[in-house]
Amino acid sequence: MMAATVDFVEADNAEAIISRIEHKSRKIESLLKQSRPVEALKTALEGSPPNTRDERCKSANWIVVHRAIMAIKDLDALFSSLDPEYYDILMKYLYRGLSTGDRPTCDQCLRIHERLTERAGLGCILRSLADTMNTV
Amino acid sequence: MAAVAVHQFAPCITCHAWSPDRSMVAFCPNNSEVHIYKLSEDKWEQAHILQKHDQIVSGIDWSSRANRIVTVSHDRNSYVWNYEGSEWVPTLVILRLNRAALCVQWSPQENKFAVGSGAKTVCICYYEQENNWWVSKLIRKRHNSSVTSVAWHPNNILLATTSTDGKCRVFSTFIKGVDTRDSKAGSSSDSKFGEQILQLDLSFSWAFGVNWSPSGNTLAYVGHSSTIYFVDDVGPSPLAQNVAFRDLPLRDVLFISEKVVIGVGFDCNPMVFAADESGMWSFVRFLGERKTSSTGPKYGSQFSEAFGKLYGQSKHGINNDGVDNSRQRGGVHENCITCIVPLGEAGSSTITRFSTSGLDGKVVIWDLESQQDLLEYL
Repeated sequence: MMAATVDFVEADNAEAIISRIEHKSRKIESLLKQSRPVEALKTALEGSPPNTRDERCKSANWIVVHRAIMAIKDLDALFSSLDPEYYDILMKYLYRGLSTGDRPTCDQCLRIHERLTERAGLGCILRSLADTMNTV
Repeated sequence: MAAVAVHQFAPCITCHAWSPDRSMVAFCPNNSEVHIYKLSEDKWEQAHILQKHDQIVSGIDWSSRANRIVTVSHDRNSYVWNYEGSEWVPTLVILRLNRAALCVQWSPQENKFAVGSGAKTVCICYYEQENNWWVSKLIRKRHNSSVTSVAWHPNNILLATTSTDGKCRVFSTFIKGVDTRDSKAGSSSDSKFGEQILQLDLSFSWAFGVNWSPSGNTLAYVGHSSTIYFVDDVGPSPLAQNVAFRDLPLRDVLFISEKVVIGVGFDCNPMVFAADESGMWSFVRFLGERKTSSTGPKYGSQFSEAFGKLYGQSKHGINNDGVDNSRQRGGVHENCITCIVPLGEAGSSTITRFSTSGLDGKVVIWDLESQQDLLEYL
């Protein structure tokens, strides 16, 4: 019964999620123009659709998050202003980045992964790997 | 030092249990046998070997009043062992399972025991006087995956289970002729056998290890996503809290008072969780001392060796060769802790001593008396 309800909501929601992501994308571009990459990453991670099973939504959000991840230059600045509530979701996207096999993406994700693991511990990795329900 | 005694009994231990007077310990050395060691003049000596199972013994519980041992095994059988003369005499309990039995626990009154299994069922076993026989009643079609742990509520009726489907459930196990309606259990004793009181969907990955607080008011269980869950007001409107922590996941939990929980697992070092005055739970600290030497691994666990390789060896010491490093991890246990057993008086509301066993084959006894900062929480 639960699953049926979720499916129903999703059919309705997929378009809404996509348009939200498009809106987010524009906001991120303007933040990046203002040289505020950390704010851009936060915006990208906020309202990620991990609950949905619609691959289109997940891919669309990944493109946005990827754009923000690749714009990060200064990791110290990133972690001094990124709140712990973002750690788990960021870790999930780092693993998605690593799974692409794209050299520059993997380099960047691995760089952030090292620092994130120092900060958030192995528990954060376990939460991103063990959770099969909320995937990004 | 919180660890007061360390005994290396075997290369690997799946589970252990203590005799009522704590002078004997029973454990399974990762095979089909149960070894019982007796403490005589400060030395542990092998007293008995229980040989009846065909496969790994996955659960042992030693009843404190009746001095009976119950064992369950991957061979799908269970035996109740009675001490007669100088021998342990087994009685087969037919569980009617088609998959391995995974865990077992005596009920507080010791007239029933519960077995969790890989067959997605829980067996509630009780003794039938007229047939001289242990009967197994099954709770079927409630779990979607293996039952990894069972825990009895102090009222002898409610049973909590955790499963690899990620859920924690609470069932009524009222059995006519064994339990009485007028017990102090209150409204929970009105439920029929096998009725599900509660299902908790807090974890998104496997759930292992569940325990009730001494009063039965709070329930704690652990998920494989490095999270521990605390549930108050178990009933129609439960209050739940998730505590995510930064280290490797837990396998088993134990309440040592209403406000303090010890969790053990893959981090090889018991973790202490405590509730403040407002009932908010949080991670306090590790119980064992953590060596932070410069050559030690950066993250202090089994995973770190793999990460060392991933990030390049230069960050770690020269002597970073897998096995060697894991032996130097600094904790008392050198591998995943799978089992935690209280060593207090049965029914007392606080426990300061307990024992842990793990895949490194050690049984470690911990005492909180010397841990001043933790005694404040009790």
